[in-house]
Amino acid sequence: MGDTYPLMRAVAEGSILVEYEEEVSLHVNLKARQLAFGLERASFDGLEEVVPTYRSVVVYFDPFRVDVDAVRRFIEEVNANLVEIDLPLPRLFRIPTTYGGIHGPDLDRVAEHTGLTPDEVVELFSTQAYPVYCLGFICSLAYLGGVPEALHVPRLSSPRPSVPGGSVGFAGSQANILPVDSPSGFNYIGRTFVEVYDPHEFPPTPIRPGDYIQCPAVLEGEARLVGKKHLGEFAESFQSN
Amino acid sequence: MKYGIPPSGAMDQRSFVIGNLLLRNPNSAAALETVLQGLKLRALRRVRISITGGDLDPWLNDRPAPQWAAFTMKEGDVLHFKKRKKGLRAYVAAEGGFDVPEVLGSRSTFVRGRIGTVLHKGETLSTCFSDSEAPGDVLTLPQAYRPDFNRTDPIRVLMGPQEDYFTPRGIDTFLNSTYRISPQFDRQAFRTEGPAIEIAKGPGIITDPIPRGAIQVTGDGRPVILLRDAQGTGGYAKIAIVARVEMDFLGQMMPGDTIRFQGIERKTALNLLHEEADRLDKLRELLR
Repeated sequence: MGDTYPLMRAVAEGSILVEYEEEVSLHVNLKARQLAFGLERASFDGLEEVVPTYRSVVVYFDPFRVDVDAVRRFIEEVNANLVEIDLPLPRLFRIPTTYGGIHGPDLDRVAEHTGLTPDEVVELFSTQAYPVYCLGFICSLAYLGGVPEALHVPRLSSPRPSVPGGSVGFAGSQANILPVDSPSGFNYIGRTFVEVYDPHEFPPTPIRPGDYIQCPAVLEGEARLVGKKHLGEFAESFQSN
Repeated sequence: MKYGIPPSGAMDQRSFVIGNLLLRNPNSAAALETVLQGLKLRALRRVRISITGGDLDPWLNDRPAPQWAAFTMKEGDVLHFKKRKKGLRAYVAAEGGFDVPEVLGSRSTFVRGRIGTVLHKGETLSTCFSDSEAPGDVLTLPQAYRPDFNRTDPIRVLMGPQEDYFTPRGIDTFLNSTYRISPQFDRQAFRTEGPAIEIAKGPGIITDPIPRGAIQVTGDGRPVILLRDAQGTGGYAKIAIVARVEMDFLGQMMPGDTIRFQGIERKTALNLLHEEADRLDKLRELLR
């Protein structure tokens, strides 16, 4: 079965869905990101947008300007040379976060569920670097993975209707920082005041799929103080071990 | 969409575009979208406008205002949308377009993403064009170009990309049932009420991109139709995608309306899209 990937199929009038192996893993995600990057760099007449996610890439094109079979061949070509596509170097965004209290309504429950103390939950969560698998949902939400197993907690049984933008939380192995006020079923244990999304900039977030995010614990006063800084100021080069 | 920002914009693009064409505006000129009833506008100076889209019973001072038409408001004239009669959204375009800033290459409002705002009582709007030379007479759209908001035939869809997440019986239910648009309703999505679609696996998938018009099926087996302000990625299987030519009609539907689905081939959908583009080109010629 392994050699049948990627799967490709036309979707609606002007898009092709490309799928790599059906799993959430960094090595499969890398293929999706390489394909997206390769397609954007090579580009072709009629290409509108390329959206990579965990294991899938959707290529949007103008069906009046380019034929679906030509797009398919183009994707095959780029895919054939995937290993040669060098992605931009990953960066680590260390985004100061305040934990617990009103900014972390789920901290005590997460502690109870995991058998850790609230301090241990914060210590464990805030010292990890989480890979960005993809951007999307709404307002450039970064889908983070790699939450340690000791912190695996299911989603809330019914989502909260509104969680403030900047809230930091997780469910299962996934984590996120909400870019704007949103409904969510994740467990929120902290909050950052750094804007992770700004529609008046392009791109609206400096975070790219393949980057890493860490949410180091600081006191609320400091979190608010540094919240005025631009997200880009918290980026450093990422040293993978 | 790769930044998780939806295309947004007019929910009924066709009516919006025609509104601009009647004024010889470019397509990028900003117009107002108003829903149901209540919008009241007073002209602070002479301004040429157009009204298109759903019939929300617009009145100009003390008589019904022309619809699907461009006309001139004099200083002090009041335009008032009194009552929803047909469709849901009307468009008011102004000569030159309303003066709103461009964000990310668009003048659309996307409230959740802090792009643009909803208008409030007492606000003043300016247009990008202040000195109308255009004649004041009424320019009416030929009847043949008006969309039919009374239609009851099924909404055409292209099956996939994840129809294999549903049983053959589930697909059959989807294509042969009537669904009612539920009160949970906004510019992001319609939820529907009706027979549950039998699910073969999932319906959770590894989160992937959501093309516009996607029809997701949630855990309760009901279709959810994603509209112009929808999220760019999601984790529910998509049984079908609404044909592009149908999106404008969906933009005029509201809670309580019923909907049926009919599968068509991609080739047919492309032909329909071509015809639609040709029709608008012809209209553009006609109004030039």
